[in-house]
Amino acid sequence: MSGDHGPGLGLDPGHDHDLDLAVRLLAGTPTHEGRDPLVLRRWAEAAEEFGRRMSPDPVPVRVVERDGGLTAGLLARYRSRPPVVEVYVDTVDRAERLVAELGWRSWFPAGSVLAAALAHERAHAWLHHARVRAEFKRALGHTALRLGPRRLYAHVAGADELAAHAYARAACGLGRSPLLLTEALAAAMSKKPEVPESETDRWVS
Amino acid sequence: MGVVILLLMAAGVAAMLTRRLPTAFALVLLAVAIAFAAGAPLTGKNSVLDTVLQEGAPALAATMVAILLGSWLGKLLEETGIAATLVRKIVEFGGDRPVFVALGVLAVSALVGTVTGSAPAAMLAGLIGIPAMIAVGIPKVTAAGTILMGIAVGVPFELPVWQFFSTALELPVDTVRGFMVKLFPFALVAAVAYVLVESRRRGVEHTWSLKSLEGRPTSRGRRQLLGDAPWYALLTPVVPLVLALGFELAIIPSLLAGVVYALVTTTRPREMNRRLLRTLYGGFEVAAPPITLFVAIGILLAAVKLPGAVDALEPLVKAVSPQNAVLFVLVFTVLVPLCLYRGPLNVFGLGAGIAGVLIATGIYPATAVLGMATSYNQVFGVADPTSTQTVWAAQYAGVSPQQVMVRTLPYVWAVALGGLCVTAATQL
Repeated sequence: MSGDHGPGLGLDPGHDHDLDLAVRLLAGTPTHEGRDPLVLRRWAEAAEEFGRRMSPDPVPVRVVERDGGLTAGLLARYRSRPPVVEVYVDTVDRAERLVAELGWRSWFPAGSVLAAALAHERAHAWLHHARVRAEFKRALGHTALRLGPRRLYAHVAGADELAAHAYARAACGLGRSPLLLTEALAAAMSKKPEVPESETDRWVS
Repeated sequence: MGVVILLLMAAGVAAMLTRRLPTAFALVLLAVAIAFAAGAPLTGKNSVLDTVLQEGAPALAATMVAILLGSWLGKLLEETGIAATLVRKIVEFGGDRPVFVALGVLAVSALVGTVTGSAPAAMLAGLIGIPAMIAVGIPKVTAAGTILMGIAVGVPFELPVWQFFSTALELPVDTVRGFMVKLFPFALVAAVAYVLVESRRRGVEHTWSLKSLEGRPTSRGRRQLLGDAPWYALLTPVVPLVLALGFELAIIPSLLAGVVYALVTTTRPREMNRRLLRTLYGGFEVAAPPITLFVAIGILLAAVKLPGAVDALEPLVKAVSPQNAVLFVLVFTVLVPLCLYRGPLNVFGLGAGIAGVLIATGIYPATAVLGMATSYNQVFGVADPTSTQTVWAAQYAGVSPQQVMVRTLPYVWAVALGGLCVTAATQL
């Protein structure tokens, strides 16, 4: 996880690693315990593709800046009632510093972490629309029930997180998936704990 | 002397509240102190050693066996993947509508709650259910509360609980079952209302979390990978219930039938012995804390039923116990918070002793005390921030037990009110 694999080495230099991260996120999501890695990979690809192509309507959402993200283990949070996106500025600052330390500035330009956080949460809001949900399930193609020619598509837990990250990457023009940043932040926090472990956020949603 | 016994009880509550003593130890010490205060001799009839300790300790033996069987069945549900499969299917079918997932997990929790109680029930439904709910956007407090409210829906049909109230209050199982059937609709309506109202009030929540990407895909057979149980095995939790409720079979055979059904629907014949023994021993481990508590409760019940204790407490308790039905409902509804924080009305603590006093002194009929105790049990099982299932569910979801208490208390308080109204209307 260093700057050695910087941009310019290929068309999409970190694609495989980003996809591995996406598969790992799915594998760690409850209900996928030990699911076939090839199935997880297929879903991860489909979710990222869907996220990249999403075009959420510009819905006015209140944005609130908060501290305490490092303590809570959060970078941003979306709440639907009332619609609000909370951005944890201390975590965003830490992420920006980390990007600079790791030489990833070409992947994550200055200010892009905040922009990605807002885009990520906007994508989550968009994924709650019934029409979008139905399209997303069809894109993932996981069948829950089949009655003759009719198929009932299943929900894939964790896939919306991948779609939200993929949208954030596309919308903000990032060179790599925000998952890479998440992993780097988690690694940095575990090396130099800035918060008590028991208070970190337990589940990705 | 009655005042001395009440002061001893207050000291016992203080010891439990301040956690100076574990509840079970505090109850045994309290029982011995009450027996001495009531003038019981050391040995012989109605004595400290022979009556309170020797006869009291195994008094709830039938409950202990039922608890053990429930824990055994719970272990089987866990090991065979039955509980996990139920939750996984719910998420797959309803995951894009968070409220459907919450209602589904509520139903699974209710089923699990009929089999086993306390933290093991919360773990069975919550280990996958809580993170699965959070993953689809349900706020953490709502997710933890959904598991607890679901278990509370199952509690009126939890067979070990029937056995406990039957033995402790010296009532036929039929009588206990009859009241539980009346209590169930209140628990069900409150739980569904909790999910619907809290989902509407709080909406959904998604976070960009710093959780490390720890998951690693592995390669094994599909059934082994997912722990999928066959669809007919998913009926396991209802087997004991159908037998006990529908066919009025006794509690222990009903639970044993559940164990056998879980085994034959999920396990190859050559693996059966090993799985049965492994899950039985695991069940002992799970059942150890409640069995310890039931030994202590049996001892406390024996102490408060001593003639000296009954004579001393009767005038005092009679003076403060409302006889009018409306007052009965009002007073005991207002007193609901006293079953929280290991308070004096906690039926799995001093509350059992108070119930014993109320019956032994003849202030209320045993059926009225049953109504009161089971109503309080619905509150304690969900909202008490010191009860193991509440602590586990809250901490596993990443919130505090107090947050869960504040959110769930109004709903379970309403359930207690309903139970007390039914009690007053039918038993007083």
